[in-house]
Amino acid sequence: MPAPLALRVSGASFAYAQRDALTGIDFDLHAGEAIALIGPNGSGKSTLLKGILGLIHRTEGTVEVLGQPSAPAGSVGYVPQTDELDPEFPVSLEQVVMMGRYRELGWLRLPGKKDRRAVAAALETVGLGRLSKVRFGELSGGQQQRGLLARAVAAGPRLLLLDEPFNGLDQANRDALVGTVERLKADGVAVLVSTHDLELAKAVCERVLLLNGSQVAFGPRESVLTLDNVQRTFHEVGVEMDQHTLVVPGHEGH
Amino acid sequence: MADLLGPLLTAFTLPFMARALVVLLALSLVAGIVGVLVNLRSLEFISDGLTHSVFPGIAIGFVWGGREGLFVGAMIAAVLAAVVLTLITRRAVSGDAAIAIVFTAMFSIGILVVSRQSNYAGQLEQLLFGRLLTVTPAEVTQTLVICAIALLLVALTLRQQVFRAFDRAAFAAAGYRPLLLDLVLNVAIALVVVAASSAVGNLLVLAVLIVPGAVARLITVRLWALFPLAAGFAALCAWVGLTLGFEASVTAGIDLPSGATVVLVLVAGYLFVLLGRLAVDRMRRPARPVTELQPEPRAESVTA
Ligand SMILES: Nc1ncnc2c1ncn2[C@@H]1O[C@H](COP(=O)(O)OP(=O)(O)O)[C@@H](O)[C@H]1O
Ligand SMILES: [Mg+2]
Repeated sequence: MPAPLALRVSGASFAYAQRDALTGIDFDLHAGEAIALIGPNGSGKSTLLKGILGLIHRTEGTVEVLGQPSAPAGSVGYVPQTDELDPEFPVSLEQVVMMGRYRELGWLRLPGKKDRRAVAAALETVGLGRLSKVRFGELSGGQQQRGLLARAVAAGPRLLLLDEPFNGLDQANRDALVGTVERLKADGVAVLVSTHDLELAKAVCERVLLLNGSQVAFGPRESVLTLDNVQRTFHEVGVEMDQHTLVVPGHEGH
Repeated sequence: MADLLGPLLTAFTLPFMARALVVLLALSLVAGIVGVLVNLRSLEFISDGLTHSVFPGIAIGFVWGGREGLFVGAMIAAVLAAVVLTLITRRAVSGDAAIAIVFTAMFSIGILVVSRQSNYAGQLEQLLFGRLLTVTPAEVTQTLVICAIALLLVALTLRQQVFRAFDRAAFAAAGYRPLLLDLVLNVAIALVVVAASSAVGNLLVLAVLIVPGAVARLITVRLWALFPLAAGFAALCAWVGLTLGFEASVTAGIDLPSGATVVLVLVAGYLFVLLGRLAVDRMRRPARPVTELQPEPRAESVTA
C-alpha cells in the first residue's frame, strides 16, 4: 500500500504583483518521502515553497496539503533561507526553537515542562544542545539552518519545506542535517527540499523536480537527472556530467 | 538623598501635575511595549503615517464636539487608518509612496478643518503640541482606558508578534494569519497615538513611540528584557521631563512647553545610552575572550 499523500500540486502557477514567476507545476509528495527541488538562482524554488504555504498568489491550478485546500494549522514546517532573517534580531536559539511550540501553546498558556523538553530534544536532534542560550544571529550559517530545522521539528509537522538548507554548509553541518532529514522521513514526515546541490539531492531524495521558471521535469531521481534535463535547467551555467556525478561549475549559492 | 528627591516628588502634590504624571506613566508603559514591537518590525515609517492620519480625526472631533469630541474623532480616525494601512502594506511592494501620499493628504485635511475655526492658531498649536498640564480628570480616565485597550491587544498577542516579526513566512506556515496580527498591532499603535496626542501633541507622538524601543535595543539583546526596559526608560524620562519643566517655571520663571520638554529628555536619554553603548563596545572589542560557547566562525567553506 503506498504511503498517504502529503502534498499535491496540480497545474499551478504563481505570480508576484502582475508578473508570473513560476508556471506549470505538477507533482505529488507522499508521507516518508523526500523530493528535491532543483534549479538555478531565480528559478522559482523559494516561490514554489512560499506558494505552497499560500504566501504567494496562485494564478491557476490547485495545491492540496494533507488533503485540504489550504494547509491545516500546525501541520506544515517551513525552514526559510537564513539570509531572509535579520541577524540582529534579539532572540536566543532556544527562543527561536520555542516558536515551534507556539501553535500548541495557543495564545495564552506559558511554555511548560513538556514544551521545554520538546525544545531540548529538537536541539539535541540537530546537535545544537550546548548552544541553546546563544543569540541566534551570532550562530554560523550552518548552525542557524539547523536551529530553524529544530524549530520545525519541535512543532511535529507532517510536511516539511526546506529552502536551500545545504547552502554554504561545512561537512559536519551537512552530515548533521542529512541525518536529521533521514530520521524525520523514517517517522513518516514528507519533505520537500530546494537545493542546487545535486549530490545532496541524491543523498536524501527519492524523486526530483527540475525547475527553471516552469517545471522542466519530475520523477524518480535516476530517470530525471539526465544530462539533457539538467542542461535545460541550468542552461546559462553550463553543466558537465561524468559517469557518477553531475557538476554545475561556478554555481555555489549566494 | 531627600534633598535630591524632594523636587522630584513635591511638584506632583499639585493636582494638575499629578494628572500629567499619571497620563505620562500610563503612556510610557504602553508606548514602551508597543514601541519595542515597532522597532522589531521596523514600523517607524508606518507609525509616522498613523500619527498624520489620526490628526484629521482629532481636528474634526474637536471642531464638532470640543475637547470631548477630540477623543471620539481620534479613535474613529485611528481605527480606520489602521485598517487601511494594514491593507496597503499587505502588498509588500512599494507601499511607502502610497502611505506617504494618503497620510500627508489626511494631515492637510485636518489643518483645513481647524483653519475654519475662529481661534485658529491657538487651537492648532494645542492639537499639534499637546496641553499636558491642562488635562482634565475626565481626559485622564479616557487616556487610561485607551492605554488599557492597547496594552491588552499587544499583551495577548505578544509572543506571536515576536514570531511574526522574526520570520513572517514560518509564522504563516505555522497556521497563523499575519494579516490579522498586523491589524492588531496597527490598531494598538494608532491607540497609542490617540492617547498621546492630547498629552504631548500629535507632532511629538512619534518620539514617544520610537525612542524607548530604540533605547531598549541599545541596552540589551535579551528579548523579554526589552519590554520592561523600554517602558521603564519612558517612565523615567516622563518623570524627569515634567519635573524639569516645573522647576524651570517655578524657580527661573521660564515657561517650557511640557510635551516638548519630555520629548527632549527622551532624546537626551537616547543619546546618553547610545554613547554608553559605543563606549562599552569599544572597551570590549579588543579583549574578547574566546569562550567555550563561542560559535564557530560565520564564514564556512562553500561546497557545490
Ligand atoms: N518579492 C518578489 N517580488 C517580485 N519578484 C520576485 C520576488 N521574489 C522573487 N521574485 C522573482 O521570482 C523569480 C523566482 O525567484 P525565487 O523563487 O526567489 O528563486 P530561487 O529561490 O530559485 O532563487 C525570480 O525571477 C525573482 O526575481
Ligand atoms: Mg531562493
